[in-house]
Amino acid sequence: MPAIETDDLTKYYGDVRGVEDLSFSVREGEVFGFLGPNGAGKTTAIRTLMGFQSPTEGTATVLGADIRDAEALRAARARVGFLPSEPGLDESVTGRRLIRYHGALRGDVRSEELLEVFDPPLDRKVREYSRGNKQMLAIVIAFMHDPDLVFMDEPTSGLDPLKQEELLEFIRAEQRRGKTFFFSSHILSEVRKVCDRVGIIRDGHLVELEDVESLLDRSGKLVRVRVGADVDTEDLAIDGAHDVAVSGDGASESDDAGGPAGDGQDATTVSFTYTGAYEPLLRHLLEFDLLDLTIEEAPLEDIFMRFYGEDPAERVGRVENGEVGAASESGDPGDEDQRTERADV
Amino acid sequence: MFETARFESERRLPAAAVISVALSAFAAMVLLIAPGIIDEIDVDELLAGYPPALVEAMGLEHLGTIEGFLALELYQFVWILGLGAYVAYSGASTIAGDVADGRMDTLLAAPVSRRRLLLEKYLALLTPVVVVNVVVFAVVAAGTAVIGEPVALADLAAVHALSLPYFMVCGAAGMVASVAAPRQLIAEGVAAGAVVGTFLLQSLTIGTSAEWVGDLAPMRYYDPLTVLTASEYDLAGAGILLAATGALLLVAVRVFEERDVR
Repeated sequence: MPAIETDDLTKYYGDVRGVEDLSFSVREGEVFGFLGPNGAGKTTAIRTLMGFQSPTEGTATVLGADIRDAEALRAARARVGFLPSEPGLDESVTGRRLIRYHGALRGDVRSEELLEVFDPPLDRKVREYSRGNKQMLAIVIAFMHDPDLVFMDEPTSGLDPLKQEELLEFIRAEQRRGKTFFFSSHILSEVRKVCDRVGIIRDGHLVELEDVESLLDRSGKLVRVRVGADVDTEDLAIDGAHDVAVSGDGASESDDAGGPAGDGQDATTVSFTYTGAYEPLLRHLLEFDLLDLTIEEAPLEDIFMRFYGEDPAERVGRVENGEVGAASESGDPGDEDQRTERADV
Repeated sequence: MFETARFESERRLPAAAVISVALSAFAAMVLLIAPGIIDEIDVDELLAGYPPALVEAMGLEHLGTIEGFLALELYQFVWILGLGAYVAYSGASTIAGDVADGRMDTLLAAPVSRRRLLLEKYLALLTPVVVVNVVVFAVVAAGTAVIGEPVALADLAAVHALSLPYFMVCGAAGMVASVAAPRQLIAEGVAAGAVVGTFLLQSLTIGTSAEWVGDLAPMRYYDPLTVLTASEYDLAGAGILLAATGALLLVAVRVFEERDVR
């Protein structure tokens, strides 16, 4: 049984579209990234799935409970955690009292352990808390009953970089314990760190649904190469290279100004996006007088922009027809932890 | 069980203390000036200049007794109007305030039903009502003894006990406003306004052909003046108030269950 399954889930606020015809499923034990810019409908989807508001059309199940069945969903929420981007907490009491109250409502099996990692000042009134402390308190409340499924709406907002990293690490550890996450975000770097699959939402529609790895594979690598000769773009072109651009000090004939690696000789810097295996690329590049080589993952921002840049209706059609979204096997080994491989020759 | 009622009750204790002190001070002041007015002012002479209809409607002829004086100066206005409006206003703030500040999301994320949340928040609303009743009862009982103008304790207790159904209906009306109004400020204004509005309505229609309009006002079913001066307890009125409370809460739960929380 999928942890979450939506079936043409649609929510309108009067005439204003929140989300429309969302159909996807989140498997048990995965971290599902829900990506989109502000106003795309991420929060609307989460609020509808949590039962805060009823769908206009379509429906969904959360841990098997139909979201239109208030009683079934209430029971299911015993196994669900919720972490909003702007935590709504009672500010007139201390953090400790609030934890006791919410623990009584949903059960408290691990707040002490959580408080070792996320440590807001418990004896102060919540109104005196900084944004980050409030968020940490909300994290403790969201996880204290050890839920199986956790909805997170832009969860790192308000946390300092160290705590952000701790939260992401915590999510990975919790996933290993079998938890499922629905992780909404507009920050790509954090999504690639924790998510297994991503759904990209734009203007209320799902425009992409894919493995993070395939998304990255499909988007290719950004290759920047500096060679000690005057080369043409055609010379460097191999299969799988796109958007080849020649720049830098060697783009024109003689140039003595020289870069750090120029040493007075002719040099050319070429950059391109490359999809394919490393071997043919490296063999090809070694035919040149290689001064410097950088291969890095294409920024997810670029991929993101691509989905935002195109007509969403067209995209929706293709997602729904299964033309995109079928997760392809990764053909690239070894790029899991090495975003940047550098070879100085 | 009742975690929410407990939590919310605790939160209301400071307000309960402040209101208790304020109303006790007011009651003490009324008691301090009472003997002088009762002894030195000829009420009949004073009221001769007033329209008889007004005197009868407001029960002003009772001003010359400590019971009547207390009822008219403390219970008929400050108690019914002031505390009643406060309770309605507090009720209106509950759900609407939680929704406005996003606290409702954190609550509804827990495996708790909306019905339960609403009813427990309503119960917590009665905490200050009970505290203020107990404190003010004690102050008035002690104060009347101190100034040498004792009143029947049973009547005094009845005035406070019978005010509970009245405040319960005010609070329940506030809960309806809280779930039905689009915004917190509107909910609060409508709830407090309803108490003041019905109070005026029933006062102004007394003795007119439109007196039945006043039947809609909760004050019609709770009359401190009659309790204190005639020892007549309107139990049927209390029953009507309790029934109305139940009906209003039913409506509030229903509306809350059906609406979107945004």
